[in-house]
Amino acid sequence: MDHKASPLNRKFWTPGVYVMLVFMIAGFLAILARFTGGIGYVSNLSAARPWGLWVGVDVATGVALAAGGFTTAALAHIFGRHSYEPVIRPALLTAMLGYTFVVLGLLVDIGRSWAIWKPVFFWNTNSVLFEVAMCVMVYLHVLYFEFIPIVVEQFKDKVRLPGILELLNGPIEMFLKVADVVASKMMWILIILGVVLSCMHQSSLGSLMLIAPTKIHPLWYTPIMPLLFLVSAFAVGYPMVVFETTLVTSSFKLDSEMSILTPLTRITIFLLGLYMLLKFGDMFVRGTYVYLLDGTYQTNSFIVEVLFGILVPWLMLVSTKIRQTRIGVFTAATMIVFGVALNRINVFIVGYTSPITEGGYFPSIVEIFVTLGLIATLMFIYRFVVTFLPVLQAAPEPITSEEVSS
Amino acid sequence: MIKKIVFYSGLMILVAGLSMAQVWKAPDQEKAKERAKERVKFVKEYKNEDIILHKMALVEKGITHKDITENYFLLDSPIIKEREDHYGPVRFAHKRHAALIEDCTACHHYRPKDESMSETTRCSACHQDSFNPEHPERIGLKAAFHQQCTECHQEKQDGPVTCTGCHLKNVPDHKDLVKLADGADAFEVTAECLRCHDQAGEDMLKTAHWNWRGPSPFTVEHRKDVQHGKGTTALNNY
Amino acid sequence: MQLTRRNFFKFMGVTGASAAAAPSSAQAWQSKAPPDPYGCLVDLTRCIGCRKCEEGCATVNKLPAPVKATCDCTVFEKKRRPDVNAFTTVNRYFSGKLDVLDKPSPTYVKVQCMHCQDPACVSACISGAITKKENGTVHYNVDRCIGCRYCMVACPFEIPAYEYHDPITPEVRKCTFCFDRISKEGGLPGCATICPVEAITFGKRETLLKLAKQRIKSDPNKYVDHIYGEKEVGGTSWLYVSSVPFSKLSFPELPETPSPKLAETIQHSLFSYLWSPILLFGFLGGMMYKFDKKDENTQDKGGA
Repeated sequence: MDHKASPLNRKFWTPGVYVMLVFMIAGFLAILARFTGGIGYVSNLSAARPWGLWVGVDVATGVALAAGGFTTAALAHIFGRHSYEPVIRPALLTAMLGYTFVVLGLLVDIGRSWAIWKPVFFWNTNSVLFEVAMCVMVYLHVLYFEFIPIVVEQFKDKVRLPGILELLNGPIEMFLKVADVVASKMMWILIILGVVLSCMHQSSLGSLMLIAPTKIHPLWYTPIMPLLFLVSAFAVGYPMVVFETTLVTSSFKLDSEMSILTPLTRITIFLLGLYMLLKFGDMFVRGTYVYLLDGTYQTNSFIVEVLFGILVPWLMLVSTKIRQTRIGVFTAATMIVFGVALNRINVFIVGYTSPITEGGYFPSIVEIFVTLGLIATLMFIYRFVVTFLPVLQAAPEPITSEEVSS
Repeated sequence: MIKKIVFYSGLMILVAGLSMAQVWKAPDQEKAKERAKERVKFVKEYKNEDIILHKMALVEKGITHKDITENYFLLDSPIIKEREDHYGPVRFAHKRHAALIEDCTACHHYRPKDESMSETTRCSACHQDSFNPEHPERIGLKAAFHQQCTECHQEKQDGPVTCTGCHLKNVPDHKDLVKLADGADAFEVTAECLRCHDQAGEDMLKTAHWNWRGPSPFTVEHRKDVQHGKGTTALNNY
Repeated sequence: MQLTRRNFFKFMGVTGASAAAAPSSAQAWQSKAPPDPYGCLVDLTRCIGCRKCEEGCATVNKLPAPVKATCDCTVFEKKRRPDVNAFTTVNRYFSGKLDVLDKPSPTYVKVQCMHCQDPACVSACISGAITKKENGTVHYNVDRCIGCRYCMVACPFEIPAYEYHDPITPEVRKCTFCFDRISKEGGLPGCATICPVEAITFGKRETLLKLAKQRIKSDPNKYVDHIYGEKEVGGTSWLYVSSVPFSKLSFPELPETPSPKLAETIQHSLFSYLWSPILLFGFLGGMMYKFDKKDENTQDKGGA
């Protein structure tokens, strides 16, 4: 390894951060409206459309795009490809924040947010959602535990609280030491558990809609939906890492880490190819290609998903020439991320038709603000964490210590 | 105290007055009421035969609509009231219907299997409580009435088909509905009535009771002016 | 990677044993329908559209009075769905059928929860707030509800309504089948009690099916040969017979497979006794161990 992960210690308040702040405030106000007027007051959800943007994007897409966490962990820690370790921490952070916001999104979406703990005690093992919820809950904790070493690394032996809080320095130091020891002993279990739990709920997320065969368009409704969700989660994991690493490195003007990202895309060729094979195979086995030329917004959305989300980026990655360029890899990765995100949106929103009530669904402006606000907050916290905790490891361009925010 | 005495004495006079009024009762109505309360034995088995055979049997036995003694029935069986009491009972003019149709089997569609029973047994002998698990195909008395009456009225394009065409609405107990302060004046009473019965108030304005304007000017000294009546020198406005 | 070898072997032993035992226990899907439920048979040829069932339902369930309750026919101009304040609604359809005077003859359709035999909502509910009772009722218990609306996604009849305008304690609302009333001997649902023409027949589902078949058989010209709810999504407690094809009356066309079957089969064959996660855990553990050992010879352990 060239260098250790370290806090960025860059200026925190940049214009971009202020833009994020605006979205966060808008989102906060939208959530405030949600909790004063009710879901019906702010959203376009109805009896015919019980799930909309919040479930389709905040939850389903959020979970899918957080797949980078477990896929990189599996690669580096389980299959011994230690060269990929530089991307583990950012991927872990993305996953941790991603899942946190899945839960926050859920809290906005479920009507009785204060009752979210109830499934822990009242089990319905027939319910797909129950399994998903339990996995997400446990996995979120696993992610937090996996993150402990990063916090410990930064603060161990360095706890210096000012003033009266000085008294707490000792106990906190003790706590960090204990946490460090426990976490490192437990880490192997946590890593495997994280991968297992991810496989479970990534696939089960695809089983969620199996219960509504008359509502989901046949282009998406297939008994192998859980398998497709799982494989697409595998496939999107590394592209997501590429996507965000490229964004972060270019945003912070860091080393682009192409040495790691290019081999990651080679694995993606296989995983995305498998996903594509399953997707096309399923379409031909069930004969659903007859719908392709219907020209409805649903079939068009499917074509866009498969063409620009799977086929084109796969061809791009197969080409060695494109694979070697930063922009090529980034474009392909972005398209894959887009494709999987669109798949989740298609399954949960676009492909969903009410068999009885006419009329479609488009999210209200407040729904959109909630989602944007949550995403902005996630990015805000990500930036905050990488600024002050050792997450990213990249060749830093020399920075004067004066720029470090206090 | 005096108020109370006045109130109670007033109440006693009222009660006495009411009991006096109850001395006379319409005998046919009382009879109909009594009859409506009767419960008859359930007929389990009936002859599922062609209506022609039933008609022939009636002819053989010489039963015709002229045998009917009661002018009307009050369709007010406890079988129905046990479940719900939504509307006032229907006064069914049995004799009149029979005289118009001249065919008993139009309503008495089946007869009991037991030969000793009346050919034209009453509806409630076969149709009793709804949803009898032992006779799922047998509809309850209320449904039997409704189906029989409505269907025929629709088919013949004669006779009422709406709820209040046959029923009077059950008048709810106004004790809880009327909200008046003690010693309310006439205007307050009127306003309270109009709170629910605003249509009745509108209708009232179109009646002679309201529009009457005293003795006709053409009968009393041929004067053109109007002296009396609710529209002008009214005693009250309700 | 801190992987104590002894612990690891212990763990692997357990996972291996349980993983080997588990797959065989994944059984074929079985219906959980109660054996002898109550139901209602709605005979659309009898319904006169008086909407007394709406009124009766509102009274019994303490709901606000139905809109335009007093036989106002303008109410039929729009198709109404059951909602949080009306567990049942009656809609009017003109299917082209003519009456004795050659005038278009309306068909009235009462809509409410069908009380499926294997309800999708019951299978879907994350916390078991919705249950199928022995007497046939699909029963909602607000104390367990978290308001996720998965039941609404699952319901093929689009019945559960939701108090969208309650910000903190919204409830799912739907026909209760008058659970408390029918649990008592001789108790009837509010709508069946009040129906003036017995368009709604209450009874055991088995009895009602026989009755429906008998009605269709005795008057094949009057009825279409289809008991809606006999086979739809594996059967429903509420059944319908009609003189007009159901497809013309907004009844959804549904498969005969119970809605929960596919999802539950997949879930249980994958996750019963958690055999596959345990197996996967074991496999990944094995891989980790293998690569960890290989690494030891070449380089130092990489920190997590």
